[in-house]
Amino acid sequence: MTIPVDWTVAGPATVVMIGALVALVVDASYSRRTWLGSGLPATAAVLAGIAELLREDATGAPFAFSLVVLLGTLFVVVASNVMNFENAMPPGEYHFLLMSASAGALVVVSARDVVTLVVALELLSLPSIALVGLRQGDRAAIRSAWTFFLASVVSTAITLMGVSLLYGVTGTLEYAGLREALVDPDVPGSVVSVAVVLTVVGLLFKLGAVPFHAWVPDAYGGTSVMVAGFLSAVSKAASLGALLVLLAEALPGAHDAWGPVVAVVAAVTMTIGNLGALRQDDAVGLLAWSSIAQAGFMLAPVVAVSGPYGLSAPVQYVAVYALANLVAFAALAVVLRLRGSTRLADLRGMARNDPWMGIPLVLAALTLAGFPPAVIGLVTKVVVIRPVVLDDHVWLAVVMGVNVMLGLAYYLRLVVTLCGRAEGEPYVSPSPPISVRFAKSTVLIGSATLVVLSAWPDLLLSHLP
Amino acid sequence: MIVVALAVPFAVGVLLVLARRFVPSRVAAWAGAAAMAVTLALYALVWEGSEGVSGRVDAPWIEPLGARLQLGVTAVSWPFALMTAFIGLLCCLWLVADDTAPALVGLVLVVSASALGVFSSLDALLLFVFFELALIPMWFVIALWGTGDARRAATRFLLFTVTGSALLLVGIVIGAVRGGSLELIDIRPDAVAVVLITLGFAVKTPIVPLHTWLPDAHSAAPTVGSVLLASVFLKLGTYGLLVFVEPSDHIGVVAPYLAVTGAFGIVWSALACYAQDDLKRLIAYSSIGHMGFVVLAVATRSDVGVAAAVFGSVAHGVVTGLLFFAAGSMKDRYGTTSMTRIGRGLYARTPWLAVTFVLAAVATLGLPGLAGFWGEVLSLRAAYDVGEVLSRPVAWTGLGLALLGIALTTAYVVRAVRLLAQGEPVPSDADRDLEVREAVVMGALVAAVVVLGLAPQLLLDVVQPLSAGVLR
Repeated sequence: MTIPVDWTVAGPATVVMIGALVALVVDASYSRRTWLGSGLPATAAVLAGIAELLREDATGAPFAFSLVVLLGTLFVVVASNVMNFENAMPPGEYHFLLMSASAGALVVVSARDVVTLVVALELLSLPSIALVGLRQGDRAAIRSAWTFFLASVVSTAITLMGVSLLYGVTGTLEYAGLREALVDPDVPGSVVSVAVVLTVVGLLFKLGAVPFHAWVPDAYGGTSVMVAGFLSAVSKAASLGALLVLLAEALPGAHDAWGPVVAVVAAVTMTIGNLGALRQDDAVGLLAWSSIAQAGFMLAPVVAVSGPYGLSAPVQYVAVYALANLVAFAALAVVLRLRGSTRLADLRGMARNDPWMGIPLVLAALTLAGFPPAVIGLVTKVVVIRPVVLDDHVWLAVVMGVNVMLGLAYYLRLVVTLCGRAEGEPYVSPSPPISVRFAKSTVLIGSATLVVLSAWPDLLLSHLP
Repeated sequence: MIVVALAVPFAVGVLLVLARRFVPSRVAAWAGAAAMAVTLALYALVWEGSEGVSGRVDAPWIEPLGARLQLGVTAVSWPFALMTAFIGLLCCLWLVADDTAPALVGLVLVVSASALGVFSSLDALLLFVFFELALIPMWFVIALWGTGDARRAATRFLLFTVTGSALLLVGIVIGAVRGGSLELIDIRPDAVAVVLITLGFAVKTPIVPLHTWLPDAHSAAPTVGSVLLASVFLKLGTYGLLVFVEPSDHIGVVAPYLAVTGAFGIVWSALACYAQDDLKRLIAYSSIGHMGFVVLAVATRSDVGVAAAVFGSVAHGVVTGLLFFAAGSMKDRYGTTSMTRIGRGLYARTPWLAVTFVLAAVATLGLPGLAGFWGEVLSLRAAYDVGEVLSRPVAWTGLGLALLGIALTTAYVVRAVRLLAQGEPVPSDADRDLEVREAVVMGALVAAVVVLGLAPQLLLDVVQPLSAGVLR
């Protein structure tokens, strides 16, 4: 038996997976357990994956999502150097799990049949769960990992149920086959509706959409900051990509079944996420809830996935969101390492007394809020509202407007906290490890990218499909 | 030309903020004044006539969205822009003092330049970017240099405004989708979009009952902050109503509400003013009344209405600017703006300051011959003519309320003049008449108030193609 492999799709994922194994082996045979031992092979593998992706000249949404996933992973790998010499964090295992999850994310967005999708989702989820609970001797992390695990298993089960129903009525699991089968009038519509909704629900679960969002703040808050960054950027981009490709390629015929579900879930998700974020007084918690709200913004244009901007709008939004979120999480990881706290009260005045980390954080918050001078954030907000209006979901557009406003309330609170006048000198760790500089450099490169994109949004909008 | 006019204050402003520790106060203020003077001159020179767009700049920006970097001034926006540059210049001159924070000058420049950007944008997205760009600097101006519970007032101001602008954003996107482009002339907001956009600008204008952020913010802000808020920021709201809502085919959905709430605001603000002891709060409330006239004029959707709205906005800018500068002078002297604590008899104690204040006060009540008069009378005329979209009962209800409001306005202005300027003098150690910088700033504004009052044609001729024959 031969299984046909499309290397345009599988290439980058394979490269990344090999990198994961190399990182593990190097770490096992290199006794000093520092971060660089496994970090270097991991970095090299991600770079090779990016090269492979660009070489294969793939196009369309899968390419864009793969690029987001790879660049996001690269960012996380480099920024994770902030955890160097933290005894509780084993670097070899960390890199192995991170890269495995990344490989899973790459396969998820490139999947062209439902079984591959489900398997890849597990390849993404299981290492992520282990990452959340990886910090040794941390009970909170273990608890978060359990919550995450249960949520993940339940969502996979629901998706599998939907998938089996789909297979039952259509007799195929390939996207192209499903697409044709679903327009066949002989296929029972009610079963298809149930099957499609169940399948979609599983993916919404991974995306952290309401009402399946409860694991998000728990997992983000319980784990290391960079893992939270990975989950919020890479994992979320992959789930969104999978959902988008599935709906656009396989299920456009069942739009009537999933359209209203996605619209309502998007509206409720952004509202609940924002309301949750308003109550946070820790920056990581705030970003965790805000990433739920942002998932709602990504979902909203999905209702118009067959329209002219249906694919490009969520891609562009998630690219900017992922970059801004990673900048924010990396800056917070540095802050946590140096100051020991990410509570808003302890961040007061950071843009003044620590401009190299404070100003990127301000920029990231403004981008996520969609507020000038971070023009790119505003532009991507326009980008996601436009298809919703074009598809005549004006009510959803209004809900999005209200949520832009709710989001501004807490993002600007973060901004004015950071820019305000500090009371007294903050505590700063006396002897930070040198490798913190790697994390700082990612923050600065990420912010520089945001600045360039704000000055010239066309750079992103014209080049990402 | 417009690009330079915008870039100079932005660049100088950002530099001053960054180099705030290394620049002496006076140098900073003079640099700011020079930058704004350049801008004012460029804006004055860019004018090519009322027909079409002057000084058009057009460059590609975000192709996939259909957004272009389009700048230029029209018959409606040019007066707003000139007034803004003028006020910005005066604010910088006001800051020529030893205790000025250079960062404050920088923020004033950034705020003024952002407002100028709004008035010069021909693209809705660009306009929105400038609209929001001014907010955070303004938050700093109020929160860091304000008095009293300034932080809270500043945050409330910010929250109210971003609430409005989020709705505005959705309205603009809907209008752009329906019209096929983000250019201002192409935008076609449907009924929902008009409601959203109106709500967005109503917060900024402000229209009662969305005004509650205003009194706190104006009274807590430092003098230049109050001036910028009143003279420039409120105009962003009225300008937005003029360019987005007034030309829309669906203005009928909101026009009756605009007319009635605008006119009600005049009465409401006059009553509120009568109860104030704090002079800055009084001026702040009086602004709501003036904006009520503008909103009433916009709601009529007529040529007279447009002329009234433009004239009313510009006149309010100079008159209220003057009032806030006068209040600022009193605050610098007496450390308070409470009228009872400042005490009576300023005519005898600080004659020039008193005369300036009284002139501004009577201008604010709309005395003929001063700037405030023409905006109000044109607005009443527009309401009397009913206009295109209102029904006669609604328009005349607005007219009646506005007339009642004028009577009440007279009452509170007279009360304020009596409490401060007239009466038995209560001398105080702090009595000092105007310094040179105060005299220069206020003198310039007094001249503007008088010139606009005596020669309204200067401004009306600019808007004239829109309002031919109103005053002939």
